[in-house]
Amino acid sequence: MTRRWIGLAAICGVAACHKVQPGDPLGGLSATDRAQFDSGLAVFDNTFTPQVGLGPLFNASRCGECHEDPVTGGNGDEVEHHAAVFHPERAGAMCDELADKGGPVFQDSVTPALHAALGIDREPRPAIATVVAERSTPDIFGFGLLDAVPDSVILSYADPNDTNHDGISGRPNRFFDGRLGRFGRKALVPTLREFNAGAFSAEMGITSPSVPEEGTVAGNPLPTGTDPAPDPELSARGLELTDAFVRLLAPPAPLKQSREARRGRDLFAQVGCTGCHVPTLRTGDNPIPALSHKEVAAYTDLLLHDMGPQLADICFGLAKPSEFRTEPLMGTRLATQFLHDGRAKTLEQAIEMHGGEGMRSRDLFEALPAADRAALLAFLKTL
Amino acid sequence: MHRVTFISAVLFVAPLVLRAQQPTVPHDSVQGAVHAVDVRARSVDVMTGVGYALRVVHLQVPATVPITSREAGQRESIKLSELKPGDVIRAVFGGRRTGFVAYTIERVGRMESGVESKP
Repeated sequence: MTRRWIGLAAICGVAACHKVQPGDPLGGLSATDRAQFDSGLAVFDNTFTPQVGLGPLFNASRCGECHEDPVTGGNGDEVEHHAAVFHPERAGAMCDELADKGGPVFQDSVTPALHAALGIDREPRPAIATVVAERSTPDIFGFGLLDAVPDSVILSYADPNDTNHDGISGRPNRFFDGRLGRFGRKALVPTLREFNAGAFSAEMGITSPSVPEEGTVAGNPLPTGTDPAPDPELSARGLELTDAFVRLLAPPAPLKQSREARRGRDLFAQVGCTGCHVPTLRTGDNPIPALSHKEVAAYTDLLLHDMGPQLADICFGLAKPSEFRTEPLMGTRLATQFLHDGRAKTLEQAIEMHGGEGMRSRDLFEALPAADRAALLAFLKTL
Repeated sequence: MHRVTFISAVLFVAPLVLRAQQPTVPHDSVQGAVHAVDVRARSVDVMTGVGYALRVVHLQVPATVPITSREAGQRESIKLSELKPGDVIRAVFGGRRTGFVAYTIERVGRMESGVESKP
């Protein structure tokens, strides 16, 4: 009897000590959801070839080719290119995402068949593009929880006219049908499901029931014979499984905070970082219990903020060139490059590059004694 | 031409003419933002898509197409020229050999102010 109790206590102890590791699913999944997660991982890591639909324009041949570090679903060192035309004089419709010219994602690879037909090695960028922006590969851990946050929670943090005079005026981006956006570096895409389906098309040239038509080459139809696989190239089931994998990926558990890191957490709030990097968001009702009414330590408000002219690149939906969505900081300790294009190689550099609405906090950070700056950075490295 | 022959001919030809004007694919619908309006050519470009897979749907808008605006719970008729870039519209359309042709267009709001909807 005693031995049984000791064994049970040991099992409970191991379970209690088990920290969610990068790539783990959310805790408390049903057997069905767990099976979907596992099957979805297989689709996410499946390598597509031209024979089964890859391309003819693409950035990668599998999702896990970019989202790979330290495990599938993580970040990556790949950089891709987006382009747009900014028309500041066109009130209400300032951005042309070049959708009729192949945009906004301009793929950097082509299949041998397309190369043979057109002699190109990547999708041509239209001459009218005012900016071609680089985009690094973020991790996607915890994105299902971000998807489950009600619109009302996000909108509650919006202060477009800075009525509280704190110098921070977050505002929502919206998709073209008017729905609130939240995914992507400019917060254009309303739901994770759409983001995933769109990525199959934009990143790999894979059609699906959600995006049944192949893209163009800079707005021109594909040359005959360059896309031999029948559409849709990914089944509804494949899309559903991939979506389940991404949706059910857990955010990495924060590391145990040292005394220094705890002090850094307080400093993070004191210098105003939490004005945009809101520490926690709460999810709403969700058919998946593991996503329903959960606190997620996302450190984002999912709103757009002006980050100043130095970081400005493309417009996107309502987002102006200098506006970016507050980057979630969950999983920050796993990142090896920072900001939307990876230009910052350290967290300190990333903070120093904050302009616009982030300038005041940046200045306060830079004015801190060295030990306090180190404490704040130590805190960020626990996330 | 004899009046009976003429009427018979009209009755025979009219359905063929009307059928030629019908869409060749089933009705489809789109909700998106007005990207551009060409009043002279009677066309409107609608920005839509899924995630980053964006597309522009080019719609011909015959003069007979009802265009309405739904604001403050009221629905009123408006002209094509009253549609502006950034307006969110819901269009029902069909396909012809010459492209997509709108059946109805309803303005449901502005992109920047948001629209409650499901895709």
